[in-house]
Formats: sequence, C-alpha cells, structure tokens
Amino acid sequence: MDISLILQMIIAAAIAAVMYTIIGAAPGADETATIAPITLVLVLSGIQPAVILAFFISAIIACKLIDAVPVSIAGIPAGVMSTPMVEHAMILKKNGLTDTSIRKIASGAIIGTIISIPVSLFLAQALIPFAMVIKKYGDPVFFIGAVLLALMSKKRWIALASILPFAILIQGLRYMYWGIGVVPEGTNVFISFFLGITIGPVILTLFEMLNKDKRDSMPRFDKKTIYLKKGDKINKFPNPFKILTKKEVGYSALASLIGSVTFILSPVGMTTFFGELFASGTKDPVEKASIAVSTMEALAQATYISGTLIPLIALGIPLSPMAIGPANPLFNAPPVYNLENNMHHLLSTSDFVWATLIGAVIASVFTFYIAVKYSQEICTFVFKRIPHEAMLGLFFSLVLLLAFIDAGWINIAGVLLIGIVSGVLFRLGVNYGVLFMTLYSAPWIIKMLSIL
Amino acid sequence: MNIIHESLEESERMDLKENIEIWEDIVNIKHLVISLIVCSSTTLGGYFIAPQEPPKPLFFGLTGAIIGFIICTIFIKPKRLFIEANQED
Repeated sequence: MDISLILQMIIAAAIAAVMYTIIGAAPGADETATIAPITLVLVLSGIQPAVILAFFISAIIACKLIDAVPVSIAGIPAGVMSTPMVEHAMILKKNGLTDTSIRKIASGAIIGTIISIPVSLFLAQALIPFAMVIKKYGDPVFFIGAVLLALMSKKRWIALASILPFAILIQGLRYMYWGIGVVPEGTNVFISFFLGITIGPVILTLFEMLNKDKRDSMPRFDKKTIYLKKGDKINKFPNPFKILTKKEVGYSALASLIGSVTFILSPVGMTTFFGELFASGTKDPVEKASIAVSTMEALAQATYISGTLIPLIALGIPLSPMAIGPANPLFNAPPVYNLENNMHHLLSTSDFVWATLIGAVIASVFTFYIAVKYSQEICTFVFKRIPHEAMLGLFFSLVLLLAFIDAGWINIAGVLLIGIVSGVLFRLGVNYGVLFMTLYSAPWIIKMLSIL
Repeated sequence: MNIIHESLEESERMDLKENIEIWEDIVNIKHLVISLIVCSSTTLGGYFIAPQEPPKPLFFGLTGAIIGFIICTIFIKPKRLFIEANQED
C-alpha cells in the first residue's frame, strides 16, 4: 500500500463525507437511491477499488449519521432505515428536545461504527470457511427472515398472512414486464419497488385525497406550533460518550453487536425489533424515546457496515439487504465488476481494513461534528425555510424518476400499485422489515410455489 | 381598512380548511398538489433533456428534482409557527 493510494482514499472519503452530509440531511434521501448510482459511476470510471471502498464507507456513515436532522426536526425518514426512529424522535420533538434528539442519534451512530467495524472484520474472517454453504442457501434465508420478522412483530398474523400475496404482487409485476418486454427477462426491477414500499403510506394518503368523502373527513389543522428549546452550546469537541447516558451507551453497544451478527436480516426489521425491545423496559416517555433513537441508530449504522463488509470480504456475493441495495455496485457493475470478479477478488485483507478505517474515521469525525455542533442552526433553517410540501414533492419525484428508469412509464403505475398495497398493509400493522424481506425473497417464494 | 383586514383573515381561514396532516407534518392540499406537479415535471424534464448516454440522464433527473425542490421552498411557506424558548421554560 503506497502513500499515493492512501492519499487518494483520504481525498475520496473527505469528498464523500461532505457530499453526503448535505444529501443525507435532505429528507427522503434514500441511501439506495443516492449512494448506489454515484458508486456505480465511480466503479465504471475505473477508479481503484480501495479508493471506491473508502468513498463508499464514508458515504454510508455520513448519510446515516446526518439523517438525525430530518428525523428529529421534521419526523421525516431520510431513507428507509430511519423510519422506525420517527415515532420516538417525535416524542422528543413534542417535548421540545429536537436538538437533544439529534445529538443522541448522532452519538448512537458513532457507537455503532466503533463496534461494528472490528466485529465485521472478525466475522468475515470467521465466515470464509462456510462461504460455499451459505451461498447455496442464500435464497431461503431471506424467506426465513421474512417469516421470523413477521413472527417477532406485534401484529404477527397479518404480517405472516401478507408474505405470499405480496410476493405474488412483486413477481407478478416482474413477469408482466418481461412478458411485454419493457425489461429483459431475468432482470429484477428492484430499486423502484423498494422505494414504492418506502413511501407506501404517503401514496395511500394521496390516493385517499382523490376520494371526496375521504378528503372531507380528513381532520383539518391550524399551523403547527413548534417549540425549540435553546440548549447549551457545546464549545469543546462533542464527546458522544458524554451525550449518551451509561444505559444508552450499553444498549447501543449491545445493539451494534447484534446488528453486526445479524447482517443478513432486514436492517429495518432488526432496528425496529431491538430498538423497541431495549426501550420497552423504561417507563418515562422521554427517557424511553431517547434510548430508542440512540439504540436504533447504533444498530442501523452497524448493519450498514457489517452488511457491506461481511458479504464483500467473506463471500463476494451480495447476500445482505445492504449489499443488495446501496452496496450493490461494489459486487456487480458490469462490465467492470461481476460476481466472479469484484472487490472481493481484487482487494486484500489489509486493503479492506485501510479503506474502511479511512472512510469511517473521516466521515464520523466530520459529520458528527456538523450534526451535533450545528443542530440548532440546521433545525432553525429547515423549520423556517423548508416547507413539508417541497419535501414530499422531492421524494415523490425521485420515486417517479427511478420508477421510469427501472422499467418505463408502465412502471410508474406499477410502483403506485406497490405503494398502495404496502401502504394498506403497513396501516394494518405489517412492518417494513417483513415487506422488504418479502421483496428480496419473492423470486424464490414463487419458484417454490410453482413446484408445489 | 377594517374590511380589507377581515377579508384577509377570511382567506386565511379558508386556507386553514385545506390544511391536513401527512407524514407527521401539516400541508396545504393545494400547495401539495402544486409541489408534486412542479417537482415531477422538473425531474422528468431534466431526465429527458439530458444527453442519452448513461449516467447523464440520471444526474440531470436528480438535478431537476433539486431544482423543483428549491422552487417549491421559495414559493411555498412552511405551515409551522416557530417559537424559540429558553431551556428553563
């Protein structure tokens, strides 16, 4: 490893940190939609794999960490992973603790990063001997994940019952697209379906507005009053271990460990499950909410890092929701990378360690500092200047764009359909984790059903 | 003067009737529809005017989305009353 390569990694990581601190702060900046295309461009332009990895790790950490801002101030998830935190961040917001919420979430992210990097590197090494076996059983693992997440959720029977119909909806659309030739046979439309599920509840509400009776019966509101407490300015460099209580540090660390080990399961599902589990022991609503957000963020950050690193180092196939989503170009970006020749094959263990460390340190330090130090400025700016309508418009148009790119005009209607169905299922109590796992395992489920 | 003032209040009250809650925040139905149309057209517009060599269309589309977003933030006012309070309150 020479100096010039290290220097390139540092520059790439710094660019990613700045870029994704801005992009990630925008509500609705889904990580798959924002990180995957740019990573893809870098891979195709022939940049050294270690440099791309440093860029990618820095991007995911910055993007995840800064989502503390939109979640805490507007209750808008900046991507799928922050959806489970919204409810708890809203409790803090109601109590005027918006900036506390940002600080707790950002500190949780740091703990998630610190724990998950060594754990992922260790797990990846430990998994290498079993790589062949795991590759063989990759598909059913996602299905088992969907069933487990359904059983673990509160509304378990409706969640369980919706797996097969939802898989049929997804594969039905894919087969129809192949049939009419809008996408080549065998190509699975993925990103736009993924986003359709994400904004399902919003799409459902928009559709309801088209029904006059429904629209008239919707509750009307005056302007929303927001109280922002002026907190003490932190002058020294903020210490994440001081922002969190001992209990929060402990739970976050434990959650990060669990998140790293369960890298193959849906991050959203795990985040919801363990976040709620750890928070459930606490009575005081504010204390409970702050345990929930810090734990959830730590776990989310850990699943991001482990979900990228473990399949990349141990397997070379994208066998985790993270790897199949935002990190997908690191595995598969024809003609540069394919499943037989990608970062897994090109990088040595020390390359992986260096690229990860450089990316993680630069993003953590920069984004954490910005988020914690300027949380109040960011809050004030967004509250006073950014209308909620514009955020919804931005997100909706991104979904529209990606739907069109994936499979043309027809897919816009297809994604709306997926949005309506997942919106209804979500309202009935099916959590995102089950829906995402079903999305991943749909091809296998249908193959199994056809054998029956 | 009084009449103007009253009619202003009247129109504001009319506006309030159209304020609903979506995704944890208040939006005005009319403004929301305008925003959806503006953002969608700038996004798809950007995509279609881009040179047809990947990944340019995607970047033009993303730029269009951001332009639409900025236009909406300039012309639509947030439906929030913002009150800053001190820690002791």
